[in-house]
Amino acid sequence: MKRRQGWLFFIIFLLSLAIYLLINYPLQLGLDLKGGSQLTLQLIKEEGKVSKDELEAVKTVLDKRVNNLGVSESNLQTLGRDQLILELPGEQNPLIASRVLGKTALLEFRTQKIGTTKELKRLQLQRFKINDLIEEYSLLEQNKIIDDFNNINSLLSDIQKTLNYSPKSQDLFGKLIDTKLFINNEIANLFNKTELSGKDLINAGRRQEQTNNNWEVLLTFSNDGGDKFADITKSIAGSEQLLAIILDGESISEASVGSQFSNTGITGGLATISGNFSAEDARELEVQLKGGSLPLPIEIVETNTIGALLGSKNIIKSLYAAISGLIVVGIFMILNYRILGFVSVISLILYGFFNLALYSLIPVTLTLPGISGLILSIGMAVDANILIFERIREELKSGNTLIRSIDSGFQRANSSIIDGHITTFVSCFVLFLLGTNFVKGFAATLGIGVAISLFTSLNCSKTILKFLTTYQSLRERNLYLKKESFL
Amino acid sequence: MNFFNLNLIKNRKKVFSFSLFLIFLSLVGILYSTFNTSYKMPINLGMDFIGGNELRIERVCENECSNISPDKVIENLNKVSKNKNLVNNINLQFQNDYKLISIRTPYLNIEESNNLINNLETVIGPLNEDSKNTRLIGPKLGKRLLLNSATSLLVSLFAISLYITIRFDRKYAFFALLALFHDLFIVFGIFSWLGILLSIEVNSLFAVSLLTIAGYSVNDTVVIFDRIRENLKLKDIEYNETIQISVNESFRRTAFTSITTLIPLLTLILFGSYSLFWFSISLSLGIIIGSYSSILLAPSFLLRD
Repeated sequence: MKRRQGWLFFIIFLLSLAIYLLINYPLQLGLDLKGGSQLTLQLIKEEGKVSKDELEAVKTVLDKRVNNLGVSESNLQTLGRDQLILELPGEQNPLIASRVLGKTALLEFRTQKIGTTKELKRLQLQRFKINDLIEEYSLLEQNKIIDDFNNINSLLSDIQKTLNYSPKSQDLFGKLIDTKLFINNEIANLFNKTELSGKDLINAGRRQEQTNNNWEVLLTFSNDGGDKFADITKSIAGSEQLLAIILDGESISEASVGSQFSNTGITGGLATISGNFSAEDARELEVQLKGGSLPLPIEIVETNTIGALLGSKNIIKSLYAAISGLIVVGIFMILNYRILGFVSVISLILYGFFNLALYSLIPVTLTLPGISGLILSIGMAVDANILIFERIREELKSGNTLIRSIDSGFQRANSSIIDGHITTFVSCFVLFLLGTNFVKGFAATLGIGVAISLFTSLNCSKTILKFLTTYQSLRERNLYLKKESFL
Repeated sequence: MNFFNLNLIKNRKKVFSFSLFLIFLSLVGILYSTFNTSYKMPINLGMDFIGGNELRIERVCENECSNISPDKVIENLNKVSKNKNLVNNINLQFQNDYKLISIRTPYLNIEESNNLINNLETVIGPLNEDSKNTRLIGPKLGKRLLLNSATSLLVSLFAISLYITIRFDRKYAFFALLALFHDLFIVFGIFSWLGILLSIEVNSLFAVSLLTIAGYSVNDTVVIFDRIRENLKLKDIEYNETIQISVNESFRRTAFTSITTLIPLLTLILFGSYSLFWFSISLSLGIIIGSYSSILLAPSFLLRD
């Protein structure tokens, strides 16, 4: 009896600890409960598998980009070998994040190959034309004059003929963009690579150009990068050769270097890119350059967005489901097992507290599937109690004393309970290892639930029952065994 | 007390015929679904597995929301994506007296999905962004999720089989697993039929429910087999009789456990979020079929002629 008393104090201690934890460390809610967006990013590698280092490198760059975006409380985690998950809580539109994150942002500085001036001029002219066409298209589309694209179509096919290029896209806008990309790539190919790249940057900024409404992006090189930049500009100063700034293989600006720099090159470690940027474009480029380029390209393969209102509705609905489930199960147990049912209700309540406390301790982020796992595990927690109580009933029926029936009921149900819990646990374990984020939540709560229910249904129930049976008045046989069973 | 007294020996043939009948029905559903539906799959795979875009959003209406025909709305969505084929593949429904819109389209990127909401607002009036729920899943990821779910299912079935084989002797393990596959096959078959008849789709939570059912069903069977083994050692009565007694001794427990597990699931079906609705349904079905197979089917395998 002394040992049992020890258990009783231990359980009360655990309960107070659980309540303390829950008050001081509130539960973490998933996005489906508090609202927000979740983006799954897939690393793309043509050959071979993505290595751990590559994944980490991509994460570092994306981390910087997300921070520079100024998104509060965002969370970026790796998922498996080649995926990342970005969580943006609250009302933040995933649109901007997706634009900034998706680009590789590989910045290069190249010098023009000798004898390509004519070719460059030709391409620049075509680029000028295509930019005009794109602007015209957007204007027409904004004003909903969708039927009047014939002019653009014929001009586009002219450009295509001179370039000897046919775009892959089927629709007009896609064709325009494809052609522009093609031209920019062709221009980039007229230039030689240099040692200077985005890695040599220490900062990036943006400002509005003085002459018009366009924005330009300011680059600050490291000491080393500044020297390289000076060398490069010196080598082409005053010549026909131009300096091109290439982003992701596309030339975004070409500029000549004046002859006044032929002695020292452009020193000071500063440069600007002016490529007809809008304010938004400039900001995106700034963020990308600050974060550095991605070692591997990424693709956004999944986006979930849940409004805040829907999230709080989900919480309320789940609470209703959980509480009504608990109450009905409790009533069922008390109707069937009387005092024993009452004991199982108390262990169920303990079970609920321990579960939630563990969630805040580990911590487990509570999501909708997670809550369903918790609710489902209520049923499984009761299962162990039912197994034990059925045994106790049988022992009582065969004429054993109450205390002996309780003891052997707990003892004999043990092996079945452990077996059953292990099979469920196996499923949870596999789900947790292999499942997606969404599924992991379910596996975690169900798994934790199954483990805790072993403790509550075996130990807590027994302790409470033993405690109750110390009172003579609670040892009445008919409090345990009804003459006619329910059902 | 009669309710808990089954005559297993007498009803053995009935049980087998009933199970065979259910399996036959499931098989018909799966075959029909594979060869005679637009999706040509054993089961109607949802957007988790094939990719797509799902949007649910509430409208902001003064009193009652105006009636609009879904076709009319779809007509006006042709500018959402550059893909002109999109309009033919949009599925749009109004729920809750035209207050809630639910739209399924093929995969859109984030920009296009934003266009979709903006376009919708011009057609049907303001929407409440706070009530928004969108999911975009790329087709590549879908394939991966499908593969992932299938592996999880196989690995965990293998692990459970392994545990059971170590725990019991081979005969018991084999029949427990047979009962398990019977349960999973029938639940799968029911969802094949639901796909054919009501266009219900299965998502990754369905795979999760199958796994949970597997754990649960084996658990139930193990409890009964444990009882049978114990009684075969202790009691000195005829073999078939012992099995029947053991089943009846465990019957109350299995029935009660199923009830206490079904109760929370029922509350989830009634009060829970819509995204858990079909998940709870498939779990409930699995638990009902699982209890049937553990009480009636699995022990019947053990009976001797």
